[in-house]
Amino acid sequence: MGAEVKTMIRKGSSLRERLYLIEIFVGMATTFRHFLRNLLDNSKLYVRHYPEVEPEIPVRWRGRHRLTSHDDGTVKCVACFMCQTNCPANCIMIEAEERLDGKAEKMPKRFTIDLLECIYCGYCVEACPVDAIRMDSGIYSVTDNNRESFVLGIQELLETPGAFSEEDYKKGGA
Amino acid sequence: MSDMVKLFVNGVEVEVEAGKNLIDAVGAVGIEIPHLCYHPALGADGNCRMCLVGIEDGRPPLVPACKTPAQEGMKVLLDAEHIKKIQRDVMELELINHPIDCPVCDQAGECSLQDYYMDYDQRESRMTVAQVNKNKKMDFGCGVVHDQERCVLCGRCVRFCREITKTGELGIINRTDESRVNIFPGRPLENRYAVNVVDLCPVGAMTSSDFRFQQRVWFLKKSPGICHGCSKGCNITIDHNRQKYEDDIIYRLRPRLNQQVNGYFMCDEGRLSYKQQNENRVTQVLIDKSEASINDAIQSCLAKIENSSSPLILVSPNCSLEQLVAIKALADQIDAPISGYSDGYIKAGDGDDYLIQDDKSANRAGLNLLEIDTTKAKFEERLATADLLINFDNDLSLSYSDTELKEMLSDTVIIALSSQKNYLTDLANILIPLAAYSEYAGSLINCDNILQTFDKALSKNAPLDDAAIVAAKLGGPMKNATDIFCELQKLIPALSNTELQNIPAEGLNLNNSEASNVTA
Repeated sequence: MGAEVKTMIRKGSSLRERLYLIEIFVGMATTFRHFLRNLLDNSKLYVRHYPEVEPEIPVRWRGRHRLTSHDDGTVKCVACFMCQTNCPANCIMIEAEERLDGKAEKMPKRFTIDLLECIYCGYCVEACPVDAIRMDSGIYSVTDNNRESFVLGIQELLETPGAFSEEDYKKGGA
Repeated sequence: MSDMVKLFVNGVEVEVEAGKNLIDAVGAVGIEIPHLCYHPALGADGNCRMCLVGIEDGRPPLVPACKTPAQEGMKVLLDAEHIKKIQRDVMELELINHPIDCPVCDQAGECSLQDYYMDYDQRESRMTVAQVNKNKKMDFGCGVVHDQERCVLCGRCVRFCREITKTGELGIINRTDESRVNIFPGRPLENRYAVNVVDLCPVGAMTSSDFRFQQRVWFLKKSPGICHGCSKGCNITIDHNRQKYEDDIIYRLRPRLNQQVNGYFMCDEGRLSYKQQNENRVTQVLIDKSEASINDAIQSCLAKIENSSSPLILVSPNCSLEQLVAIKALADQIDAPISGYSDGYIKAGDGDDYLIQDDKSANRAGLNLLEIDTTKAKFEERLATADLLINFDNDLSLSYSDTELKEMLSDTVIIALSSQKNYLTDLANILIPLAAYSEYAGSLINCDNILQTFDKALSKNAPLDDAAIVAAKLGGPMKNATDIFCELQKLIPALSNTELQNIPAEGLNLNNSEASNVTA
């Protein structure tokens, strides 16, 4: 075994450090310096006032999923199961049926994403051949207090709007 | 074993069977020659040109492999540049008007065009003009839906209807790029084997309306099985899948090659018989119509058997040999007569001279082998004196009308062990669910006296016992598979020197063996 050995120098063994109290006050001084600075001028504060101030989400951010629709509001998805096949978390469940409006041959009867199992990898978006599933809703916080509400059905997915213009989304590299 | 000849493929010597064409002969040793129109059951047609191979020093130097018999010393070229170019060119021609709608095509995943594109083509289309639009959805009848755009005009479906069913409903009409597979106006497919064209179609041009859009094929687990739809016992592939949070169910049945039994095909009725495995199943143990646990039900059955002065056991002709042995042993143990009366399973005149049989039960030959009485007179005579009927999955409502059954069984206690709901399960005092044939392993003897074995295909979320296990729980002496097989070995001399796993995959023909006199 030729593992490289790196010897770490153990700190805290000098007399001053072993006296303990001196180092405590040095540390407290640093803390109080920050405290006073922020008290007098909080414009230089390093934290964001979340949730009052929300972060800016970049276009390529993988947020909660949505299903896109044609101009007339009908679902774009053709139920090809590519996203379900590609999903490493196995969180997409689709049931297909015949489509009769002439836009495609096939459409989803049921399209369910279990957000508790989703790992937000975006493979479904990459796999989709018709740009029917996107993660551009800008929703980064998915919270609730019961399991059922994390299972999104086709209606919820279709009703989720995109957060960006079509132009920005395309520019984002999708 | 037929004669072998030695020939060279890409300069490597291989030994193949003589008399076969190059595709089959070379295919048997694992070298694939791409082909679209050739199918071993339909013979060579030579229209797709995908199987063109080079013959070094041959005259002609280029031959269709499907029409060329393997000969001694032949030097076959498969990977030469000019052969690869032919394959690419054929693929390019096939794909000119192909819609490439693989995402919504049911064939995707088992499509020759997809496979050959990946293996032999892998090039961008050079087409710049618009594709020819054809009819995307034509109902050909018998549950066959045709998509003309996907069709490669190999003519397999046309040849199937002409050569196998001899009904000739399909034809290729018009010439050149106007060619389409079509039916005669107003005369759809009308034969009982029509859905086989869906399996035969190398691309997604023929789809089954029953399976259409149900599942992508790469999700399906493919398990071998034996169709229990009639006494032919066609070999099938059971395509099943357990979707997330759901149960393992069958999505389709497909024929599996067995030259001794069914060849490459199966009937449409058998193909749809999977629905009985999915629907209308008995799942809940009932004692006097109220839910109970299996143990309570067994205890209550044992008490009923104990108290009965003259019990009668009825078995289904669909039971496997193993189950019949176990049930018969139980009958001997409790000293009950056993009947296999099931005339209702026979639909006289329904069979044909190809695969479909009159007898819609899978193992009547097994009943005869075990000398279980199947006559109506004896069954009725015994039932008249019986005070307890233990029915192992025999659907009596096929043999009698509901009113007749009610009258006959009015003063009889009924223990029904059933996989399917029927009128008898409604009447039953104790109802115990049984596994269906895709959920247990066993063996059957078909109408031609061929013994075939099958394995368990499905694993249900809540597995049910099969009839042999229930028979053992009811006090039968055959407690495990080894006991049962020993008993079978005594009954069938052909099995005496074999192990269960050594029974050949294509079945054991009991007529050929020295035990040709086993069936009474």
